[in-house]
Amino acid sequence: MATVQVSDLRKSFGALEVVKGVSIDIRDGEFLILVGPSGCGKSTLLRMIAGLEDISAGRIDIGGRVVNTLSPKERNIAMVFQNYALYPQMTVAQNMGFSLEIAGMKKAEIDKKVAEASEILGLNPLLKRKPSQLSGGQRQRVAMGRAIVRDPDVFLFDEPLSNLDAKLRVQMRAEIKALHQRLGSTIVYVTHDQVEAMTMADRIVVLRGGCVEQIGTPLELYDHPENMFVAGFLGSPSMNFLRGKIEGQSLLLAGGERLALPSLPMAEHGGDVVVGVRPQGFSVGTQDGARATIKVVEPTGADTHVLADIGGTEITCVVNDRVDFAPGEEVRFSITSKQVHYFDPTNESRIG
Amino acid sequence: MTAIAPRREDDALQLKPRRDPFLIILWIILVTFALVWIAPVVLIAFTALKSNAEVMATSAFTPPQEIAWNNFSGAWARGNFETTFKNSVIITVIKVPLGLMFSAMAAYALARIRLRFGKLLLLFFLFGAMIPFQVMLAPIFTLLNGFGLIDTYPGVILPYLAFGVPYQVFILHGFFKAVPKELSEAALIDGASHVTVFRRIFLPISLPVLAALLILDFVSTWNEFAMALVLLQDRHMWTLPLGLMSFQGQFSTDYGQLNAAIAMTVFPAVLVYMIFQRYFVSGLTSGAVKG
Ligand SMILES: Nc1ncnc2c1ncn2[C@@H]1O[C@H](COP(=O)(O)OP(=O)(O)OP(=O)(O)O)[C@@H](O)[C@H]1O
Ligand SMILES: [Mg+2]
Repeated sequence: MATVQVSDLRKSFGALEVVKGVSIDIRDGEFLILVGPSGCGKSTLLRMIAGLEDISAGRIDIGGRVVNTLSPKERNIAMVFQNYALYPQMTVAQNMGFSLEIAGMKKAEIDKKVAEASEILGLNPLLKRKPSQLSGGQRQRVAMGRAIVRDPDVFLFDEPLSNLDAKLRVQMRAEIKALHQRLGSTIVYVTHDQVEAMTMADRIVVLRGGCVEQIGTPLELYDHPENMFVAGFLGSPSMNFLRGKIEGQSLLLAGGERLALPSLPMAEHGGDVVVGVRPQGFSVGTQDGARATIKVVEPTGADTHVLADIGGTEITCVVNDRVDFAPGEEVRFSITSKQVHYFDPTNESRIG
Repeated sequence: MTAIAPRREDDALQLKPRRDPFLIILWIILVTFALVWIAPVVLIAFTALKSNAEVMATSAFTPPQEIAWNNFSGAWARGNFETTFKNSVIITVIKVPLGLMFSAMAAYALARIRLRFGKLLLLFFLFGAMIPFQVMLAPIFTLLNGFGLIDTYPGVILPYLAFGVPYQVFILHGFFKAVPKELSEAALIDGASHVTVFRRIFLPISLPVLAALLILDFVSTWNEFAMALVLLQDRHMWTLPLGLMSFQGQFSTDYGQLNAAIAMTVFPAVLVYMIFQRYFVSGLTSGAVKG
């Protein structure tokens, strides 16, 4: 268990800068998730914390100790790789005990630690098998087992669930979260799956193009996104952005349609604004609201996703009842959500 | 016509899937090559077991009537095999494992440790594999002569090493490069040094390649002739191929003993092949990483 401080961290591959001054304070025992689109530098950042990648500039402290020049093994961290990276010629038990063996621990003690870890992860019946004789989920668990036997200060996970099928992913998500509660250790977890981030994290760091966009708890980020990128990244389906002018209590869209707004931005805003509305924040009907044309209707079983076109802007809305609109049909949209988000269309940041 | 056609389709359903003609041709070619290759082996084996009288009387491919084991003891004594065999064993047993170890370590360093001139170094090794040793024979002789190493074990082992290492490095480097990067990174995080990663991870998973290289290198070292001929002048330092050559020159009419000598020369290579071929199991890295 330890804190991790990342201060103004930079990384360049040749002329290409992929991490551009990232600062994060990770608390002791915190489950921190790094999210962002592909290629934004998540893995690079994690690998720098692990010591697998040199640091171009900046500083990393683990447990109050500067680790910039320390090798991976001196940092007392454990890492779970996306492709598990199990030692193919060793059994599950040997895989898990390898680090302890290298550390010079006694055989009996290694066996005890491995037994403890395999108990937690339900690996007992598999201890004698080779990785090639395991399923994807079991390999994933062995990779975690290899990490937890060591009692590291910090766990690093790089998209550990992305190779699993949807059902197993949900199950492992719960297991990892339970594991975190049980061990109380600091975890830095990389994913590009916003659902994973929302459900598991204590705090989320949203990265884009090597820069931090916002840091906060899942609900802070969901309710108060600092900019359109964060707003659009979290939540599924993603937030709708409607561009127009505010006139009185409503939004005048480019096509001439009007949408009544539940609230106004704090600051007076004369020019164009972008209004962000979650897909769950609309109602679709035939009576009043802005005119829209149905494009696609996707029933998911629990609810229905309706894609429509309001004056040239495509919006997605999620309705609870089973609606039966035909594509091309004209309907009326209104905003029911109490909370809408206002953004400045030029710099995409939050207004008020 | 119309009545027959459906029946033939019926038959086709019953029978095994039709064989690919390409495979049949391939098989024929393989069998032909195998025959060409086996014929001399059978010839040597049969002749080695026949007395001289029988060799003259029967055709080459008739099995021996009476097995003449004394061909072997005769050849062994007359051909001074005791000395040449001992020399060959010493040279091979030192050179082959040592060379393979050097190659594996060099290949690991080139594939996995970031070196400033790594690429250049690799190119240098490849260059070594491309130079035919015949070109180098005279300079090597001069060099070894200068060091007083002619007619010594190091005097052959060192050049053998120098000419054996490059192609092994080349092959092992390719293999090590293909080992997923995460595997060594995981080991580094687990606290392993490069030595441990090499010994505990890379060597075990490259056993099939190492076994193949060991067999190839054993055979080529065991049978090496030209360099030994130049570097070993003293009869007491001769290796088996040199001894065999001289034996052939002296006793070429004694077919039985000559072939017994050949068989004895070849036998250790066959033995080594049999011992190490069981490591040719594929898929040692399977399960390491997904996809
Ligand atoms: N060794 C390298 N040499 C050069 N460029 C690299 C190297 N490793 C990563 N990059 C570049 O750095 C950027 C960030 O890569 P990184 O692997 O951190 O992305 P990521 O956020 O983990 O993406 P993903 O979600 O796809 O895994 C990418 O543009 C990538 O091309
Ligand atoms: Mg990545």
